[in-house]
Amino acid sequence: MTQLVRNSAFHFILALLIGFGAGLAYSWLISPVSYVDATPALLRADFKDQYRIAIAASYASNQDLPRAQARLNLLGDADPISALSAQAQRMLAEGEAFENARPLAQLATDLQRGYVSEPFTPTPYPTFSTPEVDSTPTATDARIQVSEEATFTPPPTIFFEQTPLFTPTQEGTLEPRPTFTPTAGPGAPFILTSQETVCDNAKSKLMQFVLLSSRREQIPGVEIIVTWDQGEDRFFTGFKPELGNGYADFVMEADTVYNIRIVTGGAFVTDVRAPECTDPNGVDYPGGILLTFQQP
Amino acid sequence: MSSTKIITVIAALATGIALGLVYGWVVSPVEYVDVTPDVLREDYRVDYVLMTAEAYQNDFDADAAAHRIAMLGSAAPSTIVSSALEYAKLNNFTEDEILALQNLLTAMQTYQPGENPAP
Repeated sequence: MTQLVRNSAFHFILALLIGFGAGLAYSWLISPVSYVDATPALLRADFKDQYRIAIAASYASNQDLPRAQARLNLLGDADPISALSAQAQRMLAEGEAFENARPLAQLATDLQRGYVSEPFTPTPYPTFSTPEVDSTPTATDARIQVSEEATFTPPPTIFFEQTPLFTPTQEGTLEPRPTFTPTAGPGAPFILTSQETVCDNAKSKLMQFVLLSSRREQIPGVEIIVTWDQGEDRFFTGFKPELGNGYADFVMEADTVYNIRIVTGGAFVTDVRAPECTDPNGVDYPGGILLTFQQP
Repeated sequence: MSSTKIITVIAALATGIALGLVYGWVVSPVEYVDVTPDVLREDYRVDYVLMTAEAYQNDFDADAAAHRIAMLGSAAPSTIVSSALEYAKLNNFTEDEILALQNLLTAMQTYQPGENPAP
């Protein structure tokens, strides 16, 4: 051992290791490489959420889907559409207003479809102009002209002429007012068009909703309230765009009766419960249910 | 210990330090995974401000815009937007984009926390 300590090679290696350790400690702990040109993909998760909100808000303004897609790609999400949907659901679960989550859901829906679903109506933007002030005032020769003879202009006399409140005219031709033709809009009522039992073990106790427009296009953002004797749940269509923009679902409990209300349009369905299904082995299990609503 | 040995040890120590620094700074530098937006590259920062400006054109919510810009650092929102506007002018952004940034700058210059002016 004593001979080892006296050995030159030992001293050399020991000094080398100590030096290496000191260099590593300096470069990793004391003065690590400082990051100055990071990409959005490196952002912390909560900042990525903020970034997505900004992308969706910008998209709500300019309706530029390719640009929104390119911006989302910067975040490096494996599935940008799922990331948007998940964030929107998270926001709703945290009690944020639907209006805050809506741009995210809308962008997810449009990315899923591949086109802008809402027609873009540009908002007239107020322009602010700052008047330019000339910093070097120049004297002008324009002077106020004062005439020696002051003239007095009397104020105009107020004159009232009473007009009859209503003057029936015989000459005018009465034109019939246009008849109001109801058309199904975003707020048009939904009608339950089908209620199907789904006997599939993978969808056991799953209450599925599909909300369609009068043209049978799926409608996102429709609020649904499910109530039962011990509680209530609210959710929206369109947060699972991979299953359809007008799709929503809810997991039921066996032997519980549910009432369903579509908030937009006010459709109301009572006494919904998980149906009984039987698998190929003859074993009973609670099945699922598929409810389709459509605007007339 | 002879002077030759001392020189050898010092040389070994210096070599070790040099190797350690090269390894720590070049070969395997500290990897950042959860960075804050203030270290974003400038073009990404400007694009983020532009997104905020485009959103502001739609909702006119100065409060939300100020909160979004605050993500980029502790500087005043108007300073951040002003820098972004300069960058946009130097890098041939479109007229619409520059106008959006100018309008956001005006909004941020007159912004008082808590307000939400209507257009």
